[in-house]
Formats: sequence, C-alpha cells, structure tokens
Amino acid sequence: MTTPHANPEDLDLYALGALDGEEKQALETHLAGCPACTQQLAAARQRTALLGLSAPAVAPRPQVKADLMAKLKAEPRPVPARSSAAQPAQSQIKKIRWGLRFSFGFGLAAAALAFATFELAKSDLERGKQIEQLQAQLSQDESSLQAMNQVTAAPDSAIVTLLQQPGGPPGQAHVMYNARMGMGVYAGQLAPAPVGRSYQLWLVPASGAPVSAGLVNANQQATSVIMHLAPGLAAKAFAVTLEPEGGMPQPTGPKVLVGAAS
Amino acid sequence: MTALAQPKADAALIAKMMAGDESALSALYDRYAPMLFGMLSRVLNDRQAAEEVLQDLFLQLWRNAGQFDPGRGSLPAWLMVIGRNRAISRLRGRRDREVLEENEGDFAGTFASSQNIEDEAARAQLARTISAALEKLPAEQRQAVELAYFEGMTQSEIAAKTGTPLGTVKTRVRTAMQTLRQILG
Repeated sequence: MTTPHANPEDLDLYALGALDGEEKQALETHLAGCPACTQQLAAARQRTALLGLSAPAVAPRPQVKADLMAKLKAEPRPVPARSSAAQPAQSQIKKIRWGLRFSFGFGLAAAALAFATFELAKSDLERGKQIEQLQAQLSQDESSLQAMNQVTAAPDSAIVTLLQQPGGPPGQAHVMYNARMGMGVYAGQLAPAPVGRSYQLWLVPASGAPVSAGLVNANQQATSVIMHLAPGLAAKAFAVTLEPEGGMPQPTGPKVLVGAAS
Repeated sequence: MTALAQPKADAALIAKMMAGDESALSALYDRYAPMLFGMLSRVLNDRQAAEEVLQDLFLQLWRNAGQFDPGRGSLPAWLMVIGRNRAISRLRGRRDREVLEENEGDFAGTFASSQNIEDEAARAQLARTISAALEKLPAEQRQAVELAYFEGMTQSEIAAKTGTPLGTVKTRVRTAMQTLRQILG
C-alpha cells in the first residue's frame, strides 16, 4: 500500500507560508517520509520565490554596499565545506561509524574511571552507597551502549558532520542519527565552554522550532552523547549552540557547530 | 556562446568567493541587490530595515559560499527565499521561519532551477510576466496571494484580516497558485 503524494497546490501553499493548522501539520508529516514530495517542494519554493519579482527592482543607496564591503573585512574567508565534510563519502562512513563508537566508548570509560578514582579517595563508610551509585551508572551506560549499537548498526542511520562557524570556537563533530528510532549518537571535539555556559545540541526539523538533544559538555572528557528523541522525528540539520549553563528550552546563543542533514 | 556562458556566471563568481575574492561578492551584489531590495522594501516598508536585511543576506552568502553548488541550485532563488523569510520574520517578530535556516547550507538541490534569472534581461522579462499574471488574477485572489507573500500571512490570518470565510480564502489562494503554476512552470 502506497501513501498518496501531496497535492501540488498544498506544496505551493506551504512554500508560500500560507498553509496552517492541521493541513500544515499533515503535509509536514508526509514530507518527512517522502523524498519525492520533498523534491516537488523544492520546485514549489522556486516558483514562490519568483513572486518577489513582481515588486519593482530598486537600487539600494551606494552606502549600503560600501558598508557591506567594509564588514567583509572583519569576516573570515569562506570555507569550502559541502563536498568534503558535510556529506562524507561512502568510504568515510565506516570510519566515522567506528569513530563514533570509539569516541562514545572512550567517554564512558573515562567517566567510569573518574568515578572509580573518586571512589578510592572516599571513606569506607560511604563506599557501600557509592558502589550502588556506580552500579546504577554502569547500568545506565550499558543501556546507552545498546542504544548506540542500535543506531550505528541500522542501515537507515544518517551521518551528519557539524562544522565550526565563523568567529566561533574551533571544533568539529559527527552525529549519526536514525529518524525512524528517534535516536542518535553525537561525538565531537570542542574548545571548553566558557565558565557558566554550556554547549547544547539541537535537532532542527524541516519546520518548526529546534528540539534539544541534550548538553554537550566539552569541559569533561566524555564528549559523546546519546540522543533520545521522538521516533519519526526527521532532521533537517543539527547544531550546537552556546547557552547559559544547564541549557535552554530553545536556542538563544550563538551557533558554534552546524551541519545539514541531506 | 554568450548565451551558454551566461548561466555559469554565478558559478564562476561563487568559486572566486570561495577563494576569498571580495570582488566576486561585489559583482553578485550588483547583479541581485536591486531585485532583492525591491522585494525587501515591499515586505518591510522600511528602508533602513530593508538595507540591514540586504546586508545580512550577502554576508551570509559570503560565509556559506563553500556550501553552494551552482550546478544543483539557483542562487537568486535562494537569495529571494531566504531574504523574504528574514524580512517577514523581522516584520512579524517571528523566528520560526529563519531559525537556523541560514545555516542549513542546503541550498544546493533545494531550489531546482527551472527559470533562468541569472541573466538580467531574462529576469526583467520574467518580472514582467509575473506582474502581468498577478494583474490578470481576480482582485481578491491577487490580494490573498500578496498578503501571503509580502506580509507572510497564513490562510487563517488572511481570512481574519479581510473578514472573509476561511474556506473562501483557501479557494482563492489555491486557485491563484494554480494559475501561477501554469504560467511559471
């Protein structure tokens, strides 16, 4: 049984921004799982964009361009990104999969080691209680490892490379995400976050507000995060922003890493 | 030869931008700024705001030049879409249209180019075609499309603003877009 494709008029209205309510929601749900209609939407966006040509062309003041060119001086040079990094070649995917597994595993091991070292320094009176905590931690980690294995083993998981942004801290990350499961693995390297601030990972859906995928605390050795989101949640992009410590419900700070999911 | 070379001009300029050549951005600005500024001014009805959005748009183009594949997308269409989104967001205080959108970097392949608007003469001709097509629409259909495009209104908002039943607005917008689709291909 095949799902009927979206009505071309709905795609036009969506591109125009006129669709709302249940119609919009239903179309977005369909688009999330229909590459053919997503492609048709691209054509609809093109058509809709052309409507702007009905406004008479107006030359801006010469000063506007002069100011723009002056601002360019403060900008870093454009960075070629898409072909080599944003879309890893097939030959790189296996390497990244292993890299994600290694990175995540290393993070867990580091956390466990830090915890165990801390344990040795404690008094015997506290030991029993803390061993229970360690066991709980390891149990949680095992659950995370299982989740990671599910994501990395699934053939429909996608890999997205997140690149640093102009003026932001140096860093790079990979996300392997499975929209069907709503789960993903983040592994990356970032300069330590400033005191009182946290790095926060976001899934950016095709429409609507970004969804928090958790904090990425670069001040610790564990630079990997397992993402547990809603099953079926498709991603248009992933981004890491710098937020007040503990994170925010919606992004408010500068984007430090961004990668488009294609 | 000239006709064949012209569509590649954006690609060549983008390649130069990626090499850090500011004159390439300058050339793209000269080519597309009037088209964009006309649209932005119509949306914002505020010269200073339109100028700021225009500058931001070209700064974003400079930053993301490496992510654009001219063989798979239309640069002027991308500029129009992102420019309009930013203008409407600014106009209405809505962030949902532009949240992280400028960083999607996915303008390659997002805007399939069925119309050549790189060439100035072709762009002017297309502008006349679109204006004529809008003029030919019944007044209420044209008003609905223009409220949606230039003011960023949804069907429900258009219904509320014009005091028209939602179902009627839907019919008007759909009929208008159907007509425009036949003209624009």
